[in-house]
Amino acid sequence: MLNKNHFVSDNTTKRRLQTSSVTVVVSLSLVLFMLALVGWVLLNAKKLSEYYKENIGFQVYLKESASNADVEKLRKELDAAAYVKSAVYKSKEEAAEEMKKETGDDFIAFLGYNPLPVSINVNLRSEYANADSVAWIEKEITADRNVREVVYQKVLVDNVNDNARKIGLIVGFFAFLLIFISLALINNTIRLSIYSKRFLIRTMYLVGATQAFIRKPFIIRGVKIGVVAAIVAFAMLAGFIFIVTRYVPELLVIQEENWLLLLFLGILILGVIISGFSSGLAVRRYLRLKAEDLYF
Amino acid sequence: MEDNVVIQLKDVSVFQGHNMVINDLQLEIKKGEFVYLIGKTGSGKSSLLKTLYGELPLTKGTGTVVGYDLNALQRKDIPFLRRKLGIVFQDFQLLSDRSVNENLHFVMKATGWKDENEIQQKIADVLTKVGLANKGTKKPYELSGGEQQRVSIARALVNDPELILADEPTGNLDPETSQEIMNLLLDISKSGRSVLFATHDILLYKRFPSRTLTCEQGKITDSAYKVTV
Repeated sequence: MLNKNHFVSDNTTKRRLQTSSVTVVVSLSLVLFMLALVGWVLLNAKKLSEYYKENIGFQVYLKESASNADVEKLRKELDAAAYVKSAVYKSKEEAAEEMKKETGDDFIAFLGYNPLPVSINVNLRSEYANADSVAWIEKEITADRNVREVVYQKVLVDNVNDNARKIGLIVGFFAFLLIFISLALINNTIRLSIYSKRFLIRTMYLVGATQAFIRKPFIIRGVKIGVVAAIVAFAMLAGFIFIVTRYVPELLVIQEENWLLLLFLGILILGVIISGFSSGLAVRRYLRLKAEDLYF
Repeated sequence: MEDNVVIQLKDVSVFQGHNMVINDLQLEIKKGEFVYLIGKTGSGKSSLLKTLYGELPLTKGTGTVVGYDLNALQRKDIPFLRRKLGIVFQDFQLLSDRSVNENLHFVMKATGWKDENEIQQKIADVLTKVGLANKGTKKPYELSGGEQQRVSIARALVNDPELILADEPTGNLDPETSQEIMNLLLDISKSGRSVLFATHDILLYKRFPSRTLTCEQGKITDSAYKVTV
């Protein structure tokens, strides 16, 4: 049994052992790439929904009686409020110009005066872009004596929130499923790669090595494999993003380096933990088996 | 227990799976004794040895091996019991992926040796003892069967064990090589270590007579308590 390598040269043996590492690295990096991809999609979806939510603004129409100073004061107050991303002043003339473009009618000439009020366009921060918050924000603003009316698209806000929640749930569920599947797959792959060493493990135990001592080199190897696989997976993700953004340039707008770094750290930690932990478990399993059972 | 007793078993039964293979065993082996354990394959020799080195639990009777109470043996104690034993196997059980030196080096590292000079010294020492002083860099598969068995004996010696358990160490070797291995083990026992030598090679123990435990039909007969011829 121990002499099976009689006719195999040293280099062949070495190459064979390396090949088994390569197999594990390839499987692990593919799995981590899938996970990173899902993570990237999730992050993008989150950014995308935030982006849309913040673009849903509402208009604050002011009373005719409000002076320019009053309007500017209110705008500044709004701009400083925690829930506001931006507050932009729109004069009567600008409103009329916009209206003219939309309808194509020169209604001022027809009416003889400009009936449109001065307004402030407010964009909310994404955290506040939901029906509940908008309701009390509306109340607060309407309380100002210079405000005539607050108009916002309630249905749109609810829709965006609802969709974001549904999509998040579905993608999240699949991500969870994927993590579970990959754990099982990688655990099996690593166990198989250690299976070939089961007699060595046995011998080490028989000559008085403690379990921790035997396990250590296997766990270190597992951690190394995890690190390499994470780097490979991230390189693949970077290549993927590079190609995708060439065809869909909008995605680049919502790229943030911090998020990518976080994603990399995530798959690095995941890879190292899966690989190291599985290695330790596999060795432990072979240590606990009876000698006879090793032959199967 | 007396200081110079290395194995003491009282009312011990040995099991192979659920089958009892040895019943009601009383045994005491003293320091420096060379004891044969003979019997057919399947008569329970290996199971008895496995019980002695903690591979099988002792479920019936009481026993002490090199100061370890087998009844109270925990999983975490097993490596430390094995460090006080030298175990020699029929199939050598060398680490096939590394050289002779590295095999010994691994065992010493695993059993708590720290000083690299001491390790090298000891490796040279035990390899000389078994007559393989110049084979340290060879891989196990580059050695003959007899040489591999010598390596495994050298490995059993690195921690100066009080007791050497040899499970059919000559089972895979030709008669001449077997004699060399025998001589080696006899020398070792003369230096004060006990050797329990399991074999079914009748020629061998006729040639080198010593105390003999015979395993037969679930009983062990001890030549020490028989009227000697």
